[in-house]
Amino acid sequence: MEIAVRGAMSVMDKLGILTDAAKYDVACTSSGVDRSNQGQGMGNSIASGICHSFSADGRCISLLKILFTNECIYDCKYCINRKSNDVPRASFTPDEVADLTMEFYRRNYIEGLFLSSGIINNPTFTMELIYHAIYKLRFQHHFQGYIHVKAIPGADPLVVQQLGFLVDRMSVNLELPTKEGLSLLAPNKTRKSILAPMRQIQNQIVSSKQEIAVYKAAKPFVPAGQSSQMIIGATPESDYQIMSVAEGLYQKFQLKRVFYSAFIHVNEDKDLPALPGGPPLLREHRLYQADWLLRFYGFEAGELLSEERPNFNILLDPKADWALRHLEQFPVEINKATYQALLRVPGVGVKSAQRIIAARRSQKLGFDELRKIGVVLKRALYFICCNGRMMYPTKIDEDYITRNLIQVKEKLPFSLDGTTYRQVSLFDDVSFHGQTNREERQLALFGQI
Amino acid sequence: MNKVLICEDTLIGIFTGIYVAYEKKMDHSLIQLQLQNHEELLLFSEYENVTADEEKAIKVIRTLKKTFGDDVYQWICYALATTDTLKADAVYHGIVCGLSMKQKQDFMGNLANPYIHTIFKLSRMASNETHHWLGFLRFQQLENGILFSRIGAKSNILTFVAPHFQDRFPNENFMILDEVRNLCVVHPARKQWVLVSGDLIAKEMVEKLSGSEEDYQSLFRYFCDKIAIKERVNLKLQQQMLPLRYQEYMVEFQ
Ligand code: SF4
Repeated sequence: MEIAVRGAMSVMDKLGILTDAAKYDVACTSSGVDRSNQGQGMGNSIASGICHSFSADGRCISLLKILFTNECIYDCKYCINRKSNDVPRASFTPDEVADLTMEFYRRNYIEGLFLSSGIINNPTFTMELIYHAIYKLRFQHHFQGYIHVKAIPGADPLVVQQLGFLVDRMSVNLELPTKEGLSLLAPNKTRKSILAPMRQIQNQIVSSKQEIAVYKAAKPFVPAGQSSQMIIGATPESDYQIMSVAEGLYQKFQLKRVFYSAFIHVNEDKDLPALPGGPPLLREHRLYQADWLLRFYGFEAGELLSEERPNFNILLDPKADWALRHLEQFPVEINKATYQALLRVPGVGVKSAQRIIAARRSQKLGFDELRKIGVVLKRALYFICCNGRMMYPTKIDEDYITRNLIQVKEKLPFSLDGTTYRQVSLFDDVSFHGQTNREERQLALFGQI
Repeated sequence: MNKVLICEDTLIGIFTGIYVAYEKKMDHSLIQLQLQNHEELLLFSEYENVTADEEKAIKVIRTLKKTFGDDVYQWICYALATTDTLKADAVYHGIVCGLSMKQKQDFMGNLANPYIHTIFKLSRMASNETHHWLGFLRFQQLENGILFSRIGAKSNILTFVAPHFQDRFPNENFMILDEVRNLCVVHPARKQWVLVSGDLIAKEMVEKLSGSEEDYQSLFRYFCDKIAIKERVNLKLQQQMLPLRYQEYMVEFQ
């Protein structure tokens, strides 16, 4: 009887339920892999990623982000789909997922598919369903667009392996920053079961790269790399703990991206914090800024925070905060400083640092040129000099500069009054997309990622 | 006496203008390039109309690619796709400056030069817009199976978006109509795309949608609505990331 009812559910209804259930997943990027079509079927992939729309929360829509099913046997306390919640349930069929993806893609609504899932029956069974859907897309529809799937902890490594050869990106959610947080809020999951597929994917990425180096036609495994995400603010970890975990994921598991998602209160549960101020968006924002510093600016978590100062400054971004504590390293001479030193100047980004290096080959730079290059002088002026001169005579004094920097209004992706919010599209999405990847390539050349 | 060369607002026209300017063997600071229909009257100047000439333009293009590399050439093409009336002169004098540089590949890095800085700004504008349309343009499936898209571009970016979709949809018949310029990219399945006048596109044809078209539009609209997290709603940000001039052409905003 139940099956009959479910069979009658329209694709529209399923799409509604399974999009609603998937929306808390953060990653929606389609970046990391360049693949041209060569006349086969449909689709290609652009390494810089493409944003197709923006939802009402200001987040980029790049992929058809859905769950395969929300009929989950687990009971994670922070999750809307947990077993003990009374919410509408639905499951797609592999054909429905494939058709939606193809028809959306042809109309240029999306860059590809991001398929995640609640756990139906058991992890292996669930991943096999995902595999069927992806298999249909790749081999029946000859779809060559971007595909990101979640690997489900506890699933048979063989399915993970087979799927890895069909998709561009795989991710395993770390869920919470520490083991303790996990056992409190996700009783069915363990740190070990999460790290196992992460390690497997990492190893297979490495070995497939080696194979491709020898034999060009070898199949790439998860060519756009692996990512993960953790929930911020549901458990009591400090920013320092979180950044150290992220650093570990980058260094030990060679992840491409770690995403942070401000905890959103969807369930009433005594083990969850109340958060009367809404989701901790400013904190999430600071973590993304710091994450950026780890990946592209050559910073280490231990430079930004410590046991004694375990949390980021609310008023200042992590780079300015760092610079203020290291005034002995400033001012930096723009016409001589190394690329690495330029990167550490507040108000100088990766692009402007590169432009400074290029522009100073043909002439000495002054403040006017820096402005054209895109350096934010309001912020940089305390930390730089051009040809031995600072922009204004200024005191190199921590309190004085701090006061001045705080006055320069920081562009936050949401307003601090708590009424409007916006996702940290600053880094990952839209116009910054292209930039990321050029940077990534550049850094890869220097062996940094 | 100063010289003003008036050229047609096309790549061929402007590159021909640059060729002719060099032919004069005059001090470059005495020559200005202006666009047809945007002439600005300068005192004590001699005006000359330049007829677009493919051969001359190709010579200039070859020199540019050889001297500065393909990337710089691409930057210049993007700058020339904008509607800025000073673009031709900026490119001409930018090239003059570039040819005197020791490291010619550093052309785009020489932002201290006002002409190169203009090229840089214009180019970035057109390439950003191109990138936006790659994501924001929408196809509708017509009754005859053709995928049809309508856009309203600020810069003339059709020829930059066409190769992307040809690679993405090699086996589809598709058309992209730029309503502002009344120009249309037509891509027959498995063939090379071409650019044609919008007058060749039959109005009745593009109004007949395929049977399932409305369904997919509603499905996508529903998806966009459901994917937003209500605790984070921020319409101002949405509009900042996706300006209204694009929304006008997107099914999910209709
Ligand atoms: S496994 Fe946990 S987080 Fe995932 S859908 Fe089920 S309840 Fe939610």
